[in-house]
Amino acid sequence: MTRRQFLASSTAGLAAFHHLEGKEAYHHTPKAKRVIYLFQSGGPSQLETFDYKPKLKDIYKSELPDSIRRGQRLTGMSGQQASFPVVPSKFGFSQHGKNGTWVSDLLPHTAKIIDDLTVVRSLHTEAINHDPAVTFLQTGSQIAGRPSIGSWVSYGLGSESKDLPGFIVLISPGAGGGGQPLYDRLWGAGFLPSRYQGVKFRSVGSPVLYLQDPEGFSREDRRAYLDTLAALNQKNLEDSGDPEISTRIAQYEMAFAMQASVPELTDLSKEPQSTFDLYGPDARKPGTFGYNCLMARRLAERGVRFIQLYHRDWDHHGGLPKGMPTRCRETDQPAAALVQDLKQRGMLDDTLVVWGGEFGRTVYCQGQLTDGDYGRDHHPRCFSMWMAGGGAKPGIVYGETDEYSYNVVKDPVHVHDFQATLLHLLGLDHTKLTYRFQGRYFRLTDVHGNVVKPLLA
Amino acid sequence: MQRLLLVSLLAFPLAGQEQLPLEFNRDIRPILSDRCFACHGPDAGNRKSSLRLDSEAEAKRAIVPGQPDKSPIIQRITSTNKVLRMPPQYAGHDRLPDRDIAILRQWVAAGAPWQNHWAFVPPKRSAVAANIDTFIDAKLAKEGLKPNIPASKHTLLRRVTLDLTGLPPTPDEVKAFLADSSPDAYAKVVDRLLASPAHAERQAVRWLDYARYSDTNGYQSDGVRDMSRWRDWVIDAFARNQPFDQFTIEQLAGDMLPKATLAQRIATGFHRNHRTSAEGGIVDEEFRVEYVADRVETTSNVWLGLTVGCTRCHDHKYDPIKQREFYQLFAFFNNIPDERGFVYNFGNEKPFIKAPTPPQEAEIARLAALRDAAAARWQAEAKAFDKALRKWKAPAVDWIPQDGLVVNQSLAKFTEPVDLGKDVARFNHRDPFTLSAWINPDQPKGAIVTRVDNHWEGTGYGLYLVDQKLRFHYTFRWSDLGVRVETKSPLKLKEWQHVAVTYDGGMYAKGIHLYVDGVEQPMNVIFDQNLWPVENKVPFRIGAGAGLGYQGGIDQVRVWSRALTPDEVSTLPLRENLATLAKRKQRSPAEQAKLNLAFKEQYLPPALAALRDARREAEEVYDKYLATVPTVMVMEEGPQKDAFILNRGAYDQRGAKVEPAVPSFLPALPTGVPANRLSLARWIVSRDNPLTARVQVNRLWQSFFGTGIVKTVDDFGSQGEWPSHMELLDWLAVEFMDSGWDLRHMEKLIVTSRAYQRASTISPDLLSKDPDNRLLARGPRLRLAAPFIRDQALAVSGLLVPKVGGPSVKPYQPEGLWQELAGGAGYKPDKGEGLYRRSLYTYWRRTIAPPSMINFDAATREVCSVRESRTNTPLQALNLMNDVAYLEASRKLAERVLREGGATDAERMNHAVLVVLGRNAKPGEVETLGKALRQFRARYETNPLSAKAYLSQGDSAVDPAFPTPELAAWSTIGSLLLNLDETITKD
Repeated sequence: MTRRQFLASSTAGLAAFHHLEGKEAYHHTPKAKRVIYLFQSGGPSQLETFDYKPKLKDIYKSELPDSIRRGQRLTGMSGQQASFPVVPSKFGFSQHGKNGTWVSDLLPHTAKIIDDLTVVRSLHTEAINHDPAVTFLQTGSQIAGRPSIGSWVSYGLGSESKDLPGFIVLISPGAGGGGQPLYDRLWGAGFLPSRYQGVKFRSVGSPVLYLQDPEGFSREDRRAYLDTLAALNQKNLEDSGDPEISTRIAQYEMAFAMQASVPELTDLSKEPQSTFDLYGPDARKPGTFGYNCLMARRLAERGVRFIQLYHRDWDHHGGLPKGMPTRCRETDQPAAALVQDLKQRGMLDDTLVVWGGEFGRTVYCQGQLTDGDYGRDHHPRCFSMWMAGGGAKPGIVYGETDEYSYNVVKDPVHVHDFQATLLHLLGLDHTKLTYRFQGRYFRLTDVHGNVVKPLLA
Repeated sequence: MQRLLLVSLLAFPLAGQEQLPLEFNRDIRPILSDRCFACHGPDAGNRKSSLRLDSEAEAKRAIVPGQPDKSPIIQRITSTNKVLRMPPQYAGHDRLPDRDIAILRQWVAAGAPWQNHWAFVPPKRSAVAANIDTFIDAKLAKEGLKPNIPASKHTLLRRVTLDLTGLPPTPDEVKAFLADSSPDAYAKVVDRLLASPAHAERQAVRWLDYARYSDTNGYQSDGVRDMSRWRDWVIDAFARNQPFDQFTIEQLAGDMLPKATLAQRIATGFHRNHRTSAEGGIVDEEFRVEYVADRVETTSNVWLGLTVGCTRCHDHKYDPIKQREFYQLFAFFNNIPDERGFVYNFGNEKPFIKAPTPPQEAEIARLAALRDAAAARWQAEAKAFDKALRKWKAPAVDWIPQDGLVVNQSLAKFTEPVDLGKDVARFNHRDPFTLSAWINPDQPKGAIVTRVDNHWEGTGYGLYLVDQKLRFHYTFRWSDLGVRVETKSPLKLKEWQHVAVTYDGGMYAKGIHLYVDGVEQPMNVIFDQNLWPVENKVPFRIGAGAGLGYQGGIDQVRVWSRALTPDEVSTLPLRENLATLAKRKQRSPAEQAKLNLAFKEQYLPPALAALRDARREAEEVYDKYLATVPTVMVMEEGPQKDAFILNRGAYDQRGAKVEPAVPSFLPALPTGVPANRLSLARWIVSRDNPLTARVQVNRLWQSFFGTGIVKTVDDFGSQGEWPSHMELLDWLAVEFMDSGWDLRHMEKLIVTSRAYQRASTISPDLLSKDPDNRLLARGPRLRLAAPFIRDQALAVSGLLVPKVGGPSVKPYQPEGLWQELAGGAGYKPDKGEGLYRRSLYTYWRRTIAPPSMINFDAATREVCSVRESRTNTPLQALNLMNDVAYLEASRKLAERVLREGGATDAERMNHAVLVVLGRNAKPGEVETLGKALRQFRARYETNPLSAKAYLSQGDSAVDPAFPTPELAAWSTIGSLLLNLDETITKD
């Protein structure tokens, strides 16, 4: 048993969100103390964001060559198609930053901070459908049941916050309210103790389930109530001697503290106008990506270890020219604002921000190709992602795909490599962060993964 | 942890101190397994050298018995040479701890005695005359621990009632037990509890977690299913105390038993409970393989306590299970006919059966008898029918089937598409229908009749001419959800022909028939995938649709809202009227059918018409009733499908073909039995199987004491933990088998042991010596499992509706949880009794499980779960304080106490404690609670509006008999009691 596991199983720790302090938990000196992971669910197209392929214009509507496709499996959705016509991005690209990095014109705000970003164009995954692919990215396995990255990090490092969970999840739908469904297990603890599971902060009702006291029951009432409860539990503790009871008393006090800290967290009245100018008008609307980005910064300020946003509806099988600008508009400014905001507060150095989805999209058109409209199917062989801060090397572009943006031709980054790198920045060795379950030591990266050194600052 | 603990408890000696006898399986194998087997173990693919340390003969190559310093194994683990040291530094491994090295050295010095892994050797009783306490007491004496005194009667009653039923004892039960001073008072209570329906429900909860039972499919789209009849079968099996071997055989292979009963077939739903996917675009075989693999892993985990998941990809690193053997097990579960990976998302996936409850079965039989009688009365008049037919003066009019006719459109001449509007022929994917028309095509391609979006791959249905062949499409999504069929032969151009298609509403091509000129045509099936509900808003059109037009003639377009029979379709092309046909001397079968059908439908004499109508009505009543009867997914055994080793577990990387077989390190199947699922089930519960009985009694043990005798209840392999009481485990396993696999007998043995009945108080000394209570010097003290926390609150407040079985129910859940993750209509809580049923009936959506269950560590039901987990978090505190379910229960508890608890505050307080905790209030408690009561009473008397608001939680009516401030104050007391650590704990 490792020390970590001993602590995980110990009931002696008082606050469940705060079981480890100090450097003992780290395997090496961390660069990042926390992570804000802006997950773009549905699989944003790399071809309309970061993977600029100007030559595609010349071969518009030509058939995807077998030499590129190489018999790779397709989904059941486009696998039936009689032809696979190449379709370039309908949207322009321009160069930005010191290195002249090509960025889609759909992402003007992101383009402005490109020198702070580490753009990876060579991510690749093994899954071709949403459920297995998101599960793979978040847990290291396509099959449900493993802990999510945030749970691993909580388990490995604990929380720095005394009155907030160490792993918090915020969700925003696309403008139409739709998109691929999400599922609780994406932030689940798998076989880790359930205290490490992500706590979903909600945009309707109170942010944390059951946080709000009932009507007709004031804060003073709750205090009096808890004093009575503690007295009764204390009496029981004296009679029975079970240390679990003192933990219970502490958890009720923690609940009381959360009832104060969470409303304070979500009270934006003290945010200056400049904040909303930076993040955009959505930042005032709970349930939007803009609001969640602002909330992510406030959670980071309060010491939350792993903050994960999910923005839905990037799954553009059809109607991409309409859908893509909307998704970009919803996310571009807030994501860029978050990076800038962290930077100006001096927090970017030890906060790792990640932006990306579960896979990329095909260069060929799915469904009907018309002059105004096209769609793209799921594509596991390459997709783009960016990181900022937290020890990631700013201002670089890493990895290359072929001229069809179909195969990685240089510096591939497998999902497990990305996970290993993320843990590395947090001071954790992905081969050593293990948990024994069913007779085996499990880890986020299974038996794979290498830290991608060139991505490190 | 356990090993650390044992080591510290036994004060394991280092060199020079007094030495305890080593036991290979307890002391040596865990070190070898944990530190060496990964490279020197059973996994041939990963073995880094020829040396194996998992087999005695092999290991002895590196051991010189009696001479540690001459033994390579000791030399290598103690080497200071970086290259030589094992486990190797260059691979990132740490040096073995000194203690482990000392143990290995001592073992080699003692001659390196070897044992086979204990769990793979059949259990034997070490002492026949023993009982549970013989073993527990012996160990306590050895460790020098003094057991606690017996628990008080009220503590014991609450403990055993919660353990056996998941509900607390009622005040009357407490009083009766306290008043019963007979020596068998406790045994009588145990018998009463074991016989109660609540006990069967409590046991079922455990089993539902093992079986990954759920009301939805899981995976991304997480569609609905209904396995409630399987769940009720489980409850019923526990209520009957079905012997565990039968319970096992019926669930794994009930369908293969000779003359399998309905109940035995329902039982096989166990292995249809796994998750299934309906995510668009998935590769069918990839997921089908996943389902079969899930059955293998679940079977292995539930019955054998073995983790075989790793052998999907490679040989086991610690246990002697080979990758080949995984796929040999796979072959047992691989044979469901036509099993799909991509499943139906709106109900049960095939194979499923009608699974009536006993009352429903009786009603079906009654209605079937009525139907058959009506049919017999009709049949009995066959001669009268023939006679009447012969006497019939057929009128000179045409006839087509009128029953279900919804479109009957003649066109003078087809010149342009005809739009019949959006409300015409609006069928869904489960609706049967028939389309027919006369056509005289000029071109080989065109749309005949459609209700489909106006592009080729559009959503909807349509009858077309494509490549001159008759085609029918019914599409939800062109790429993966729809059916497409065509005639093998082409039609003729520029000639009138009659075309028709019938669809039975069954979602597959096999339910579709194409006809040309009344004759059924051989078909090519182009695409055949189950359908989703089609919600297109386009009109029904003639000569247009799917981006096509039509050139040529179309006439007499007809649509029926049922699938016509072949006989009926054969009459459609006949142009002759009834009188003409009747006059003919010779009639084709179609012509005769037209006369018969027309006569039967429209021209029967009244007496016969009455019989016809009676028969039809009886059929309808029967069909309508049958449609309300639930179905359940079951196992079916088709011809054995080829099974292969799948390299790295990937569905498309097939290796060698394998036959069904059991792992070779376990006893073989009996000779002469077929290697099929039924034989496997019988093998699992055979006397020779060393694992099954041990694994089951260990899990029972866990459910009472919180930890198994083997702590790793899901791993009895060499990485599993050493049993805290090996001889006890084996004694229980043999007792279980000797009793005829009688679960209730085992439960009774456990709860009547002295170990179980001890007080649970923990002295600091006991806490430090045995923090996890593995030695059982004290009784169990454990937080209740999630469902029982809520069940108890419902019970003590009087809200509980103790109805057993039935469809799942939807109690309170915070608003919007489903929509924010998955969109859609969202969760709609029930009204009335559905809010107050026991939690095992709560609707379980796998991807968004009920939060008040998950907060208290309930298994998510994604996969098989046999471990019990208990955390202690602030979210639990918030849940109990503010969930409407608990606030409402607090109020109803307050009403109950005010109603029946006596006249004074003190009496009522005592009663409340008795109701919730099954004991009298302790000194001090009444004062503390009384002080709070007075405080809240004063608060609510000055703020009656707050009181009213506070009482407004939940759907149940507020009892107007009590003043609002008083009830509000008492509700606070109710809430306090429901939040006590003691309340949510089995003490």
